[in-house]
This record gives sequence, structure tokens and C-alpha cells, in this order.
Amino acid sequence: MEILTVKNLSFRYAMNEAPTLKDLSFSVSEGEWVVICGATGSGKSTLLRLLKRELAPVGEMQGEILFDGRPLESLPVRRSAQEIGYVMQQPEQQIVTDKVWHELAFGPENMGVPSGEIRRRVAEMASYFGMEELFLRDTGSLSGGQKQLLNLASVMVTGPSVLLLDEPTAQLDPIAAADFIATLDKLRRELSLTIVLIEHRLEEVLPLCDRLLVLENGSLLTYAPPKQAVAALAGREALLLSMPCAVRLYHELPPSSETGEPPLDIREGRAFLRENYRNGTASLPEETKRAEKEKALSFDHVCFRYEKSGKDILSDLSFHVSQGECFCILGGNGAGKSTALSVAAGLLKPYGGTVRLFGKKWKAYASEAPYGRELAYLPQDVTVAFSRNTVREELVGFGVATEAFPYDLTPLLDRHPYDLSGGERQLTALAMVTAKNPRVILLDEPTKGLDAHAKAAVIGVLRALRDRGAAVVCVTHDVEFAAELADRVALFFRGELISTDTPRRFFSGNRFYTTPVSRMTRGFFGNAVTVDDAVRLCLANGRREGAR
Amino acid sequence: MERFNPIVVFMYFALTSGIAMLCMNPIMQTIALVGAALLFLIRRAGRRGGHLPMLAFALLACVINPIFSHNGATVLFFVNGNPFTLEAVIYGAVCGVMLLAMLYWFRSFSALMTSDKILYLLGRISPKIALTVSMALRYVPLFSAQMRKTAQAQRAMGAIRADDSLSRIRGGARVFSVTLTWALENGIVTADAMEARGYGEGRRTSFAIYRFHRRDAALTAVILLLGGGIYYGVFGGFAAYQYYPIVTVRQDTAALLTYGAYALLTALPSTIEAGEIIRWKYLQSKI
Repeated sequence: MEILTVKNLSFRYAMNEAPTLKDLSFSVSEGEWVVICGATGSGKSTLLRLLKRELAPVGEMQGEILFDGRPLESLPVRRSAQEIGYVMQQPEQQIVTDKVWHELAFGPENMGVPSGEIRRRVAEMASYFGMEELFLRDTGSLSGGQKQLLNLASVMVTGPSVLLLDEPTAQLDPIAAADFIATLDKLRRELSLTIVLIEHRLEEVLPLCDRLLVLENGSLLTYAPPKQAVAALAGREALLLSMPCAVRLYHELPPSSETGEPPLDIREGRAFLRENYRNGTASLPEETKRAEKEKALSFDHVCFRYEKSGKDILSDLSFHVSQGECFCILGGNGAGKSTALSVAAGLLKPYGGTVRLFGKKWKAYASEAPYGRELAYLPQDVTVAFSRNTVREELVGFGVATEAFPYDLTPLLDRHPYDLSGGERQLTALAMVTAKNPRVILLDEPTKGLDAHAKAAVIGVLRALRDRGAAVVCVTHDVEFAAELADRVALFFRGELISTDTPRRFFSGNRFYTTPVSRMTRGFFGNAVTVDDAVRLCLANGRREGAR
Repeated sequence: MERFNPIVVFMYFALTSGIAMLCMNPIMQTIALVGAALLFLIRRAGRRGGHLPMLAFALLACVINPIFSHNGATVLFFVNGNPFTLEAVIYGAVCGVMLLAMLYWFRSFSALMTSDKILYLLGRISPKIALTVSMALRYVPLFSAQMRKTAQAQRAMGAIRADDSLSRIRGGARVFSVTLTWALENGIVTADAMEARGYGEGRRTSFAIYRFHRRDAALTAVILLLGGGIYYGVFGGFAAYQYYPIVTVRQDTAALLTYGAYALLTALPSTIEAGEIIRWKYLQSKI
């Protein structure tokens, strides 16, 4: 049964000339999971908001949206709020009240459900989502992943039959994101819930979903089961960037009539390689070690804790980063990676050990001297980097020479920093902090919430800064980003750095904490960690004789 | 006491401290202080210390009253030609006792009535105000955290120099204004999220996690019975008293009944708390 039907939908924002959506037609059956993908500005969010009447943007709409066979706008107010649930990207901003139990009750309260009934539903939700422990907590004290699960639970409490989600995992770390996706899968299987999800991290979602809807400049490029949809993407570099590594590998290798359907996940990717390629040359040559340059930043047995009676967050942390080097620190949530970065930036003072910038102790600097010229630090949430009304004012304030920056910022100049997309914000902030050519750049999760395209741009900018001789230190969850960018990678665990190595050795040595490509090629190739690596090895080995 | 419905708890404190404020009878005031102190000690509400400043405050009242009030028949001595009377001292002391009792009641009250319980009471009166307060309780810490983070980031970017006061003032103003913008932006998203979940489409109900159990009804009955008796006693003149010219307090049967009822009322929460403690000890020894 079709629960959502879109017929010849076009939409133009009131202040825009060009339409944002052009003549879209598709339908979603009950219990289906549809994933919408497309580049930034392709109209994904506009489409999703149009499906939720309360959030529909202001503008000129043509065509029809049917919910359960009747036009969406003819649906009674209460039914519309109740039947179509909507979850947004920022976990923090959707939470309304100060207590978890009150947040769960908020929806039913609005619909005038009697108290006894709310009590039952709230209890049911808290049990189903495993939130009993959190029930009495302040919403502000939850982690990002818990907040997003709470948002999902408090939408589910009114019993919707369709769930719309706009990049719900973009702000979560990989483990919380996987949890969230698993919960969605459970809802779909157990309640036959219809899900429409916008996502740019498709590695986990694509193998689970029923259909992929690809938007390109507001038009429907394809709407089909994932295998067929993916096959239709050949040659579209920008869209392929966000696909799972197995799909990217499939498309980057020379096409052949015999290779069959594209693989979607790790398992299928392995089978695809085994069936089609030889592995006589299993490994890529190790890159030759660079000559050691001057140490830019060094930690020497640094210890730090927040409270005297607390536990050590950093214990005997020692490492160094040289000039012209990219150093990525990986590690679990709450492990203290961000704390280490704040200590490096001089914002927190260690109680033991020394931190040196170019061989000079932090303490020896006059308190503010290094900021700007010697050292730049960007926190995880880059919105805090902005304090003026337009990008132009920000850039002038910091004295940025736009021409010198390895990314073209001119289209953004007259916009408010808060109106930029995540990637544009990150790049603008990068331009600001690097204006005075700092010799050490510290970045906390620079790829959080970015789509594949923006991520590639950030990698480009950071590489250019490194090649100018800056030392770039990133703390990140994003293993693929680290594998592509870093010269050396380290694992942060229990307050210290364990196993520091080149990305190729680091990731091919790890079995779990590694890139999808490394997991996919394990045992077949020796040290492929990025899609590029795998492609190079495949081409070097050639196709298997008599491959299907 | 935590297990009772906040409405009952609130009613208890309002009634008990209301009587103490209306009736300056020295015996009633002493009873109130004993009850309040007992509850506070049993619960060890908040931190352990903090008695001394309260005691000092009460003593001060004791001394200050006779300096300004010269009524009373029993003159102890003269200060600058003004009489210093025993009655004025006693009145001051009772005032001190009242203050002390109020402070103890209030400390127990604030430990018992957490913000969400107060919000629950507010929700009974006006669900709209309760929701607004709940949202404010969430937003205020969020706002200050964002402002702190922004200030720190600006410093680490070299945009604010902590060693230059002019830059600090200018930067501080900029940080404040941008945080306001941030709050407005945030507010828009939150408003969207509220609307998506059906806010403002009709009559709201107000849900609370507290229920009204049998024990709440029982406690309410006891409180109302005792409280009614005491109010009858106080307004009926059975607990009459005077301080000037000489201190007299009614001590006949009717008066004693009123005092007794008040003693029972003030001892009620401590008895409940003590009962709980004993029950747990007993259970533990059986296990």
C-alpha cells in the first residue's frame, strides 16, 4: 500500500528565481525505508520538509503530495502532527524541556492526551528505547547520541506511521551513529514503520534501505532499489564520493560487461574482489620515511585531570609533531582526545610534564603571544569561531587574503556565518585561523557533519597548509579522513597514545578500528586502506582469467 | 518524605510555617523550632554545617529588640537613661526562635522540593507558565555554556587578547551579541521542532510523573485535621499570650490541646523519616 505519493512536485522559494525542486514524482509504500541523497543544495531538505506540513517552507508549490491516499493539506491538524514524525540534524536544538520524562510527554501533552494514557506511553517508550536509567535526568546532561535517541523516542511516542529524518547522525560519533541506525532498522522491522531518511554517510545505511532516491539540482536522478540506483551513478563523481567504499571501488575500476551488480557492503565487496581480480602483488610499497624536520609541538609526560580528586584524563602523554606533518589522533568517545588538544592549545594547564612549541615551553610564552601567529586552534563546534555579521567582516577582521586561501570563498562573502552549510563554515573558519600563517594548527573533529564533497575540500586545504610547512594536528573519529590525510596516525586510549604509525601500517595492523577498505581487503591485499590504494592494487594485479 | 506527592509536602510546609508566623506564642514557637530542627537533623538536609551563622542571627535578634523596645515591667538596667527590660529580651528571643525555625523549615523544604517538583506545582496552576519555566531552565545553562565556548574560541584564535583590557571589553561585547544571535537561531529550530510535535494545535494536557497514592490521602487527612484544630485554637483565642507589660501565656486544657496538636503536626515529618530509617534497619537485619 502506498502511504506517501508525490506527483509532479515543483517548488520555488519566495526569494529565489530558480526552482529548488523540479517535477518530482515517486511513491513510498508502507514499511519501506527510503534514503535520499544528493549534493549540498540539491533540495533534499526542502523535499523532506514539504512532506511534513508543519515544517513546509514558504514558497510556490506545484503538484501534489498524498498521504494515505488524500492530499497532505486536507489532513486534520492533529492527525498530521501525530502520523508524520520528523527528526532533525542537531540533537541539542530539538529538545524542548529540561527533563527526559517531560520531553517524552511533550508530544502527547500537545495533543491533549489524558494523563493516565501519557503515563503508559511514556513508560512504554522509555522501556523500548532503553532509557529507564535516564528517565529522571536533565536533558542537558545527556551525550549527543542519547539526545538524538531521545528525540527519536519523543517523536515515536505519538505513534507515527511515517518517520522523516534529516541527517540525524551527522553530529554523532560513529558508534552512536551506528546505534541510531540500528534502532531505526529495529523500528522498521518490528513496527513496519515507513522511514524517509536524508543521509550523507551511506556506508551503514545503504545495505539496509529498500530504495535510494538521488536528487541532482532539484531533479530526480533515480529512485530505485540500492543496487540499481547505484549502478545508475556511473561517472557522477560528486555523488559517488558519498557512497560506501565497495561502491566507489566498483565505479573507479574500468567497467566491464562481466562484473555484474555493484557490491554494497564489505561482504559483497570482498566477494567482488575475489571473483574479479588477482592478488599476485598483495601490497603497495611502503612510503619512504620523510626526513625529520624541526619539532613543532611536543608533549613530554603530560598529565592532566579536571579535578584534584578526579581521575587522570591524560596520563604520561608523550608525542611530537614535526613541521610539515599531518598528525591524526583517533580514539573512542570521552577518551580525552579533545582535552589533549585543549592542553596543546594552552587553554588547559597540565599538572605534570611539559608542552613545548618549537622547543619553547608553553609557560615561557607571554600568556597570549602564540595565538594567531604561532598556533591556531579550532574547536569541534565551529559556530563559536564566528562573532560578526557577514563572512566578509570576519575575513577582513582576521586579515585573510582570500586569493591565497586554497579554496574559493568569494561566493560566501555576503552571507551570515550561521547561514552557511557545515562544510562552508568549517572552511571559512579555517581561512580565519590560518590567516596569519600559524605554524601549528590544531583541529577538533574537522569533518563532523560534513558531506563527502566538503570533506574532500577540507582535506585539500589542510594538505596545502601542510605543504607550506605547518604542523597540522587533528583529533577525529573519522578513520577514512585520517587514512587520506595523515602522515602519521595514533590511537588514543586511557590517557596516552598507543601505536603511532603511518596510516597504511596503522590501519592494516588494526583489525576492527580501521577503514572499511582495510576490512574489505583484509587477507586479500596486504595494506590497502583507502579506495585509491585498492584501485591501484587491482589495476596492478589485473583481472582474473575467466572472471565471471 | 520524598515519597509523598509534592502537593501534600507543599501543603504541610505552608500550613506549619503559616501557623508559626501568625502566632507569636512563645510555647508554640519553641515547639516549631524543635520540630524544624529535628526534621533538619534527621534528614541532614544539604551540608552538615551551617548552624552557627543561623544561631548567631537568632542571638542578634535577642539583643537588638531590647535596645529599641523599652516596654515591659521588669527593668533589668538602664542604658543611656533608657530601660532595658526582661520582657523585651524575651520577645527578642522568641523572634530569634521564630527566625531559626523558619530557616530550618526552609532548608528542609528546599532540599525536598527540587525544581521539577516546584514545576509540577506550577503546572497545576498554569501549564503554560510551567512549560515556559521548564524551557528557560534548559536554555539558561545552554546559553552561558555557548558564551563561554565562544569566548574561549575567540581567545585561541587570537581575536581577543586576554592581556589587553580594551580588546577584552570589545571582544566580550561581540561574544555576547553573537551568542544572542545564536540563541535566536536556536530558538527558531526549537520552535520548528515544537510545531512538528503538535504544539499549539489545541488544548494541552499537563503530564507529571507524580501520582496521588493512598499514603498521600492519609497524610493529607492527618495534616488537615491537626491543622484545622490548631487554626481553630489560635483564632479562637485558646493560645492567647501577651509580652507587655508582663509575659503571660494561657495554660488551661484548651490551650494545652492546641499546643499538643501543634507538637504532633511539627513532629510528623521527622516521625515519618525516622520510621523509614528504622524500617530499613529492620529489613537489613532480617536479610
